[in-house]
Amino acid sequence: MTAIVSRPARSLHGWHTTPGPFKAGAVILGVHLLFAIVGVFWTPYGYAEMGAGLPLSGTSWQHPMGLDQIGRDVFSRFMYGAHIVLLLSFAGTVLGMVTGAAIGLISGYVGGWLDDILQRVVEAMISIPFLALALVMIIAAGPALAGQPALIIVVVAIVYAPRITRIARAAAMEVATREYVAAAELRGEGTLSVVFREILPNTANVLLVEFSLRLSYAPILIGALGFLGFGIRPPTPEWGLMISENRNLLIASPMTVFGPGLGLASLVIGFNLFTDGLSRMLGQRPVMGA
Amino acid sequence: MSILRLLASRILLSALTLLIVSVLIFLILEALPGDIATRILGRDATAKALEVLRSQLHLDQPPLTRYFHWLGNLLHGDFGASLATGRPIADVLGPRIVNTLLLSLFAFALYLVLALVPAIIQATNRGKAVDNVISVITLVLLSLPDFLLATILLFLFAVAIPILPALATVSENSTWPEMLRAMILPATTLAIMMAVYAIRVLRDSLIEVLRSDYVRLAELKGLRPAAVLWRHALPNALVPALNVTALNLGFLIGGVVIVERVFSYPGFGTLLIDALQLRDIPLIKATVMISAAVYVAANLVADICAVLLQPRLRTR
Repeated sequence: MTAIVSRPARSLHGWHTTPGPFKAGAVILGVHLLFAIVGVFWTPYGYAEMGAGLPLSGTSWQHPMGLDQIGRDVFSRFMYGAHIVLLLSFAGTVLGMVTGAAIGLISGYVGGWLDDILQRVVEAMISIPFLALALVMIIAAGPALAGQPALIIVVVAIVYAPRITRIARAAAMEVATREYVAAAELRGEGTLSVVFREILPNTANVLLVEFSLRLSYAPILIGALGFLGFGIRPPTPEWGLMISENRNLLIASPMTVFGPGLGLASLVIGFNLFTDGLSRMLGQRPVMGA
Repeated sequence: MSILRLLASRILLSALTLLIVSVLIFLILEALPGDIATRILGRDATAKALEVLRSQLHLDQPPLTRYFHWLGNLLHGDFGASLATGRPIADVLGPRIVNTLLLSLFAFALYLVLALVPAIIQATNRGKAVDNVISVITLVLLSLPDFLLATILLFLFAVAIPILPALATVSENSTWPEMLRAMILPATTLAIMMAVYAIRVLRDSLIEVLRSDYVRLAELKGLRPAAVLWRHALPNALVPALNVTALNLGFLIGGVVIVERVFSYPGFGTLLIDALQLRDIPLIKATVMISAAVYVAANLVADICAVLLQPRLRTR
């Protein structure tokens, strides 16, 4: 749950006036993006190439993150995996955002029995621990779909949608009492027109911060699914899966685990700083929570 | 009177939420279009295996009948039998829940210390270097996935400095000191993961309370700073943290899945993962239902505590 407290917004102009966390976050995310793009086109070795060197020979200049059990260069896998983590996180969060925001805004504006029913369902979905919900959906999808990127995207979206619905609904209820909404109603605009032309633009700040907050957590969720063996199918080098695969090598070659771990952690730190800065610039105050 | 009515409505709403949870779980696992048995076993499954699974899950009956049968048994505390072992699920659950409860209690005690101490240090040294250092550490820990933090702690204290066991495999024959030693790493992981969420909220609310008139008054009366902090500021600053703690309990239920897995601790979380890997539908339904019930109960208790702690809320 995220509590949003409105504060006077600061100016959005000028790099030197933007808050420090935002700058730091933007720089970290920029580096990650660049790294991910390069990783699609070039890696020192193939990401699934076996025998790139002596297995478990540790870290060296040729293999900064060492080699895994079957002699694959971990740094090459790490590089190639960067765009997978980013794309899955982004796609899942966008899908969850669109669904959650649409349901939440309509539910909050329309109210009545529709709102009551939707809120009870949202409450119930949030009551199932998100990891359990995600895993159950992956099992329900069956072996044919398991390990597909599309399934992971849908699962992230379904886990996020009820949480985003709640925020969007609260924001819509606040805006729904404003005069310009009443004016639009008097002009005879339909429900959907009011929701998307009057309420959506005026809740955009809240939704933007919520989006950024959810995006920060998506790599962890996807990594956890991979770590538990329910995520993207091997040999695709998703970072959580790599950490799980190389865990037996913790003693022999710790960088094979902590290399991808460092990548995952720095990405989330970048997202968190970015969210923190963004929320300050937009006059919102997010409080992190499950 | 109004308090009783409020409590009654909260309890009824919680029960309704759990009822909807049961419908959702059933819909996801057993009512999606297509043949459930094929979906569980895969296209390569033999006709015989599919037939056995269909009869075990009573798939010959319509979904509505199966749902009410399951719900009726659930209300009697009967979770049915595990597909994988054939044993009654209630028997399997018992020891696992006890293990996880012990781990959670240990983690929760550590959490209170790990959340309160840094928050108090930060609030009483606001703006100084130590405040900023703790803020940065909190942000980094907040960004660490739980499976990574568990692996780091395991590497530090079981591999680099081998003072703690890497695997928390306990059994009924384990003595108390053995149990505690085995639980240190998983409990610490869980406690840190929960504390980083609470520290920020606690720090901010403590700073706000320390600025308030009644704390000023207490200081002007000549009370010692420690007494002001513990008797006047802290109790009031805890109210916003209650919500976070309820959320944290929700996190704890999900977190044990990962942490127990990393340390091979025989608890509720590993049971859920095992059930999922074996596609043991009745066991999956039971474990997910119980974790949702714990979450709902934790929120209910937090709601009630908030009402009792803040008289203003009672009239709402």
